[in-house]
Amino acid sequence: MNPIITAFAKGIKKSGVKPSRISVPSDIPFEPEVVKHLGVDFFHTIRGRAIAFGTGLKLGNPDLIVVPFIGDMMTIGGNHFVHGGRRNMDLLIICVNNFVYREIGGKSAPIQKCEKEQTTTQKFSPYSTFEKPFNATHLANSCGAVYTARWTALHTDELANSIAEALNKRGFSVIEVLLPGPNYYTSIKETDSNLLNFYYKNSVIKNGEAPRFVTITPKEKIIVGKFIDKERPTFIEQYNAQLSKTLGDKFTPHGGKNG
Amino acid sequence: MKANPRNVNTGIYYIDGDVASGQGALAAGCRFIGGYPITPSTEAAEAFAKIAPKAGAVFIQMEDELASIASVIGASCAGVKTMTITSGPGYSLMMETIGFGAMLETPFVILNIQRGGPSTGAPTKTGQADMMQSRWGSHGDYEIIAIAPESPQELFDYTIKAFNLAEKYRCPVMIMADECVGHMTEKVVIPKADEIEIEPRRFYNGPRDKYLPFKPDKDLVPKMVKAGDGYKLYITGHTHDEKGYPILTQNSKVKTQKSTTRRLVDKIKLNADKIIELKEENTDDADVVVVSYGISSRVAVRGIEKAREKGIKVGSLRLVTVWPFPDKKITELAKKVKAFVVPEINYGQVVFDVERCSHGEANVILIPHGGAGVHHPDDILSAIEYASKENKKIEGIIEHKTKLEKLIFEEGYKLKE
Repeated sequence: MNPIITAFAKGIKKSGVKPSRISVPSDIPFEPEVVKHLGVDFFHTIRGRAIAFGTGLKLGNPDLIVVPFIGDMMTIGGNHFVHGGRRNMDLLIICVNNFVYREIGGKSAPIQKCEKEQTTTQKFSPYSTFEKPFNATHLANSCGAVYTARWTALHTDELANSIAEALNKRGFSVIEVLLPGPNYYTSIKETDSNLLNFYYKNSVIKNGEAPRFVTITPKEKIIVGKFIDKERPTFIEQYNAQLSKTLGDKFTPHGGKNG
Repeated sequence: MKANPRNVNTGIYYIDGDVASGQGALAAGCRFIGGYPITPSTEAAEAFAKIAPKAGAVFIQMEDELASIASVIGASCAGVKTMTITSGPGYSLMMETIGFGAMLETPFVILNIQRGGPSTGAPTKTGQADMMQSRWGSHGDYEIIAIAPESPQELFDYTIKAFNLAEKYRCPVMIMADECVGHMTEKVVIPKADEIEIEPRRFYNGPRDKYLPFKPDKDLVPKMVKAGDGYKLYITGHTHDEKGYPILTQNSKVKTQKSTTRRLVDKIKLNADKIIELKEENTDDADVVVVSYGISSRVAVRGIEKAREKGIKVGSLRLVTVWPFPDKKITELAKKVKAFVVPEINYGQVVFDVERCSHGEANVILIPHGGAGVHHPDDILSAIEYASKENKKIEGIIEHKTKLEKLIFEEGYKLKE
């Protein structure tokens, strides 16, 4: 988690956003204690609800910049992800993908590379998995995300740039970060740096690639980069426009100018 | 503090209970409702969705109840008063997150218009079978407050009270109305804003660096700050210390787990006398007391009237606040009366607590009802008559079947050998 937090800290600095404006709800897998030192407000919620909780935070106070850090997103929180995108709720999703659900299927190269990873991540499927994984970026794009990017945790500068860019962007933005899961080891020191390196070296940067072509497959290189960057009115913008139209003077736009 | 006139639609209305509750929420200063439509609670959400934007409040239809309740807690953390609206199945979905809210001590209100269950059950018919779920539904130890209104006017009044209690004790507050009360249309008087008392949020205003999110005040309730105010909040559903940090070392974990859960329970238990509201009638000389809540208490009124016409000394104890349970009051009455009669639209829930608190000193008679309807006043009358004649102390809860139930299940179900 540390490389991502480092990139997050850099990204905040680069973006020029005041850390006190940022709220970070996370779901169960991610409770990075270093977050205490970033100056943001941190909410460690329950399994899969970081986006729904973040939606509440944003609508409760539209001045906040809400950055959910999520790991259970594609399973228990899948529906919130889909609808967050549909609404274009103003959230920046940092999706930490540690392949625990074996997004690389079968006896894949990255997983074969590391014996340790293999034994620890297969506890729920000891005879290997055969289910097709999600292409998170493609899903995000299909749901209506306005910004999608994917980096490995070692692409620190690129990741920081993406975060900085997305912090200043309005709408549903998704940044997927590939990182071996330190939570499955006793301490972060034991995270296999080989695997981290393997992801990094086995990746190829293709900015602007169509999201449907960026599925991570065992034999091919991992495609990273910034894939989508477009404009679409956010939920609050649409809400204000619609209600102003219907109610006229009786309606005060939610969140004022910042909304 | 008085209500903001912008939120109060003063006037005399002829509306149903759901709509009254939506009006009550706005009057109480609710700024955010996240909900998902479910019969028979939809009218409350509809009402709020219609009136909220004019008063600067937001209604959003979330993708499901899991999201509704999570967004409500999120918005509460952002510093605004929040509520969600639901019924049986949606209420069940919310359970995990209700415990999360209790652990975070975020104030929020849940309006549950109870319907017949289990499962999809009888969506358009009444029930009171979520009472224990409201108390024990989420895992772990925590306490909540539950209020059971009996009329549309009360749904307005007690929605405001629910918000006030939520802010005062920083806990989930449930309005456990039922379909009958929710869909009953009656006169509702919305008073002027300056006649409505509002409890403001307990915001912290001491020195910034001294703030501890979970350091309790004298009444065991900590002060809050808003997200985005620069307090570098660290809030977690893990067992946490006063700073809000999760406790990871073994020894302090045991200690903190005890002190955290103990306070979550005690802040309600020890303040119970201030929280509990009861409506008591003719209990001074009563032989029999009818303990009821929600729509059942309105039906009971006629049964009690008939019994008094027959010369039976019967009183009434109406539980406006069902949780925390009025232990003391029941124990005190048990010493004086022969029996308690408890009509409930379920097969026995609140009656267990009546029995627990009567300590075997009075008979406890349950009039069960399967739901999808209410008791007939004659059922309550016959239970009162039975209670007044029975001089023997009978152990446990005595079931007094309604006439309809006797008709349908004359013998009741019996296990075949």
